[in-house]
Amino acid sequence: MNAKERLEQVIDNIEKVIIGKRNIAELSIVAMLSHGHVLLEDVPGVGKTMLVRALAKSVGADFKRIQFTPDLLPSDVIGVSIYNPKDMEFHFRPGPIMGNIILADEINRTSPKTQSSLLEAMEEASVTIDGVTMQIPKPFFVMATQNPIEYEGTYPLPEAQLDRFLLKIKMGYPTPKEEMEVLNRAQSAAPIEELTSVISLNELLELQEQVKTIKVDETIRSYIVDLSRQTRQDSYVYLGVSPRGSIALMKASQAYALLKGRNYVTPDDVQYLAKFVFGHRIMLRSEARYDGITAEEITERILAKTRVPVQRLVGQ
Amino acid sequence: MTSIRKNKLFMAVLYVLVFLMLAEWLTPVIVLTETGHKALFLFFIAAGLLMAFLRAPWWFSGPIKILYILWFIVYVYTGNLFFTGEAISFLRTDFSVNFTALMSQNWAQTTDVFRTVLFFTLLWMAIYLIHYWVSFRLSIFLFYLLTVIFIAVLDTFSPYSGDAAIVRIMVIGLLLAGLLHLARWMEGHRILERTEKLAAFAVPLVLVVAVSTALALYLPKAGPIWPDPVPFITSFSGQGGAGMGGNVGRIGYGVDDSRLGGSFIGDDTVAFHAEVSEGQYWKVESKDVYTTKGWELTENVDESIFYGNDETVDTGFDPAEEELDLAILSMEQDFPFVLYPYGTASFFMEESPDYQYSPADQRFETYQNGQEFEPEVYEIAFNEPSYSLTALRETSDEDLAELSGDFDRFLQLPNELPERVRNLAAEITAGAETVYDKTRAVERYFSISGFEYSQSDIPVPEADQDYVDQFLFETKRGYCDNFSSSMVVMLRSLDIPARWVKGFNEGELIGTTGEIDTYQVTNNNAHSWVEAYMPGVGWMLFEPTIGFTGAASIDFDLELDAEDPVQPEPEELPLEDNPQTAEEEETAVAAGPSFGERVADFISENRWKLIWGLLGVSVAASVLFKIRRKWMPKLLVSYYRKSGGGSGQFEKAYLRLLKQLDLYGIHRRPGQTLKSYAAYIDSFFGTREMTELTEAYERAVYGGNAESVDWLKLRESWENLINRTSG
Repeated sequence: MNAKERLEQVIDNIEKVIIGKRNIAELSIVAMLSHGHVLLEDVPGVGKTMLVRALAKSVGADFKRIQFTPDLLPSDVIGVSIYNPKDMEFHFRPGPIMGNIILADEINRTSPKTQSSLLEAMEEASVTIDGVTMQIPKPFFVMATQNPIEYEGTYPLPEAQLDRFLLKIKMGYPTPKEEMEVLNRAQSAAPIEELTSVISLNELLELQEQVKTIKVDETIRSYIVDLSRQTRQDSYVYLGVSPRGSIALMKASQAYALLKGRNYVTPDDVQYLAKFVFGHRIMLRSEARYDGITAEEITERILAKTRVPVQRLVGQ
Repeated sequence: MTSIRKNKLFMAVLYVLVFLMLAEWLTPVIVLTETGHKALFLFFIAAGLLMAFLRAPWWFSGPIKILYILWFIVYVYTGNLFFTGEAISFLRTDFSVNFTALMSQNWAQTTDVFRTVLFFTLLWMAIYLIHYWVSFRLSIFLFYLLTVIFIAVLDTFSPYSGDAAIVRIMVIGLLLAGLLHLARWMEGHRILERTEKLAAFAVPLVLVVAVSTALALYLPKAGPIWPDPVPFITSFSGQGGAGMGGNVGRIGYGVDDSRLGGSFIGDDTVAFHAEVSEGQYWKVESKDVYTTKGWELTENVDESIFYGNDETVDTGFDPAEEELDLAILSMEQDFPFVLYPYGTASFFMEESPDYQYSPADQRFETYQNGQEFEPEVYEIAFNEPSYSLTALRETSDEDLAELSGDFDRFLQLPNELPERVRNLAAEITAGAETVYDKTRAVERYFSISGFEYSQSDIPVPEADQDYVDQFLFETKRGYCDNFSSSMVVMLRSLDIPARWVKGFNEGELIGTTGEIDTYQVTNNNAHSWVEAYMPGVGWMLFEPTIGFTGAASIDFDLELDAEDPVQPEPEELPLEDNPQTAEEEETAVAAGPSFGERVADFISENRWKLIWGLLGVSVAASVLFKIRRKWMPKLLVSYYRKSGGGSGQFEKAYLRLLKQLDLYGIHRRPGQTLKSYAAYIDSFFGTREMTELTEAYERAVYGGNAESVDWLKLRESWENLINRTSG
């Protein structure tokens, strides 16, 4: 069975419990395959937790959930060393971060100190307590949710930390038809309990390795660079996409290509993912907000005007 | 991105080659325009290229070049080595003069300094352009081609001889093109090599160029397939008629007539203007040895005779009367000799050269201070000779037998001369009694025996054929050379001394002032005729060519027998052509006016034809371009059918298809991916083929897996789509 078919199975599995959100499931898998993390920005109650749990179950992963509150401390996330009087030593009690798939709920509700402890762990895939570095088990995938930033009582994530998320996804409300179906299912037993894993963790790790072999042609790389540079030159943009953003777009595109059963990236992959990769990396000027322009619209505009490479690069 | 462009040594080699190439442009310009200071111009080119090579910023290189130009002007026009006060004031005044002239659109008032500046600007642009081609485009072909065309055109139409230049250009150009191709190839494949490896790549290139050049130089070369393009082009312009062939544009005289025959095309280039009371035949020289293929000259007959200005010359044709006519000839071409009418008494020229008369061919060569001299305007005092009819009536075969040995060379005939020529001559003259009557009979023979005047489709005799025999018995059509040679040969077979004369006929009357007519004589008027010796009378001119009226004047009054029934009407021309239109051709005289005059003449004479022609061509071209969507697919389909099945072909074909679709009106937005464009195309045409092709194309280009594409299989889809675009 090839990569595409296996990943399709995972998505089908998720679709058993999440209705009409196939693209969200795909994007989550893309992030997971490229060692990235996802920031879900949406109101409560649209199925975020369900999505992550279904994903965890489908790959047979260890699932943890951290509910961020204003009084949560870093040690509540990464764990703490506790003195054991019996052997007169400190023993590390791992926090909820030490899992495969973590749902970090309402991340912008907690203090910047706790936020940064999570984000550092995400970046390094390890935690350091009292001078001891502990590896977080692989695969490691964080899906953080945040309430839209305009809400009261939030600590907005700083730009540098937003950059750590590979993709930012909005889940959105289901269509009326889909919502009917949701109701139908809710009447019967919660289907999430019946999900079984369709691929193993080892297989997932293999797939992660496979993503790295997906070819990104010179033309595609230059296209990605073009797109990133355009964001830095836009008059509405205060801070454009960083080189890390370009890397993120490339890696995500590789994973997406694998998901689509190709061993090379096409401009379509890049275009599709650019919205999710760039959305949270573009900081807008206040003029943009007055004009009602969002980062997603800027991305769309840049995609429309940047020339898609259709020929081999020769000479230049 | 690292690239071969960063390899300084490689680029330096390219720039040196470029410099050599630009020098090839400069050389003919300097030579033809007689500009001095070639080294300083070359230095400018070298400096410009060096700065381009070092990537000097414009604010650095620009002022340096401008300073150099100013220094050049100062140095060349004032002789100052530095910007002294005098030099600066010279620059200032010159600038203001030119500025005023330009502002008032008085182009003629601009000074030489201004032209120098323009020339430098041109050089500057050329340097920039070629720098761009080499450094950015890594391509030289266009420039190379232009250089070859440039030199070829100059070689053809101007005195500049590009024999060596074209070889140098081929070598330099091939090396440049080869190295640049190597550079493009390496960049295309993203290969980075060190200099040693590059040199190894270049070795076969140098070898191939060297071997092919050496082979090309030392192998025997075929002669030109086409006639000289100048008359060829003129003939296309409808100015046809006869004309000079060959050797246009080469200074010097000495075209040999040893191989006559072949067709001729007209050449309207003006040779000279003659102001004279009556049109004359203008003699240049004669030839005496008939070789069965053409004419040659006996060497070392007699010592040359030198005459001075106004000194009475002896041409063998004495003026009829004491009172002389005057002819003024204004030469348009450079001949190192004078043309003279029959009965010439003396020459006069401002420059007062020596006139060296050669009795062997009756040619007057002009020398000044021992150097060949090409006259421009000269006067000739002459009076047409007149012959006594009575004396002519008394010419007899017995007199011929008594002629001295000096006449033997005018009786020469090759042993191979077919017997039937002699028989024909005897037959023609069977009824004639006197030498004069015989000669007239031969002269008249052609016009009464169905011969035809023509310049086209005239054969050159084969190795075993006789030129005269071929004309008399096989073709029976030809131009002056055929008629005159045949007459000379037949006369000689009758033991009448005769020689073959070259020159120009009277030309076209273009104006009259009082008694003086002005004739324009062009290369088309080059002509050949006959002189025969009448015993007791002397040499006489005869004109056997149909349609021409050259004649010796006969004094009928002198001792004329009243009851003599014979009216020796000199010309009987049943097939009379207008001599102006039936212009004759002769390969005798060759020398061209300058390139500029030639082009200017051509343009002024054909202005409307050129304008309409250009207009027509450009309209046709733009119509073709406009409707290229309609016809391109057919060409493309057959081209790609022939061109085999490589994946490179597939990619080219796909990109072609994109262009065609764009022409068809389905435009791809810049940000639109091929896939979504293909989906749209397929939905538009109701096909699936574009998506299929696009997937293959993406696999080849983005996936780097060109080998997986089976172009032969996809070609049908491609053809189907591209044919739709022509609908």
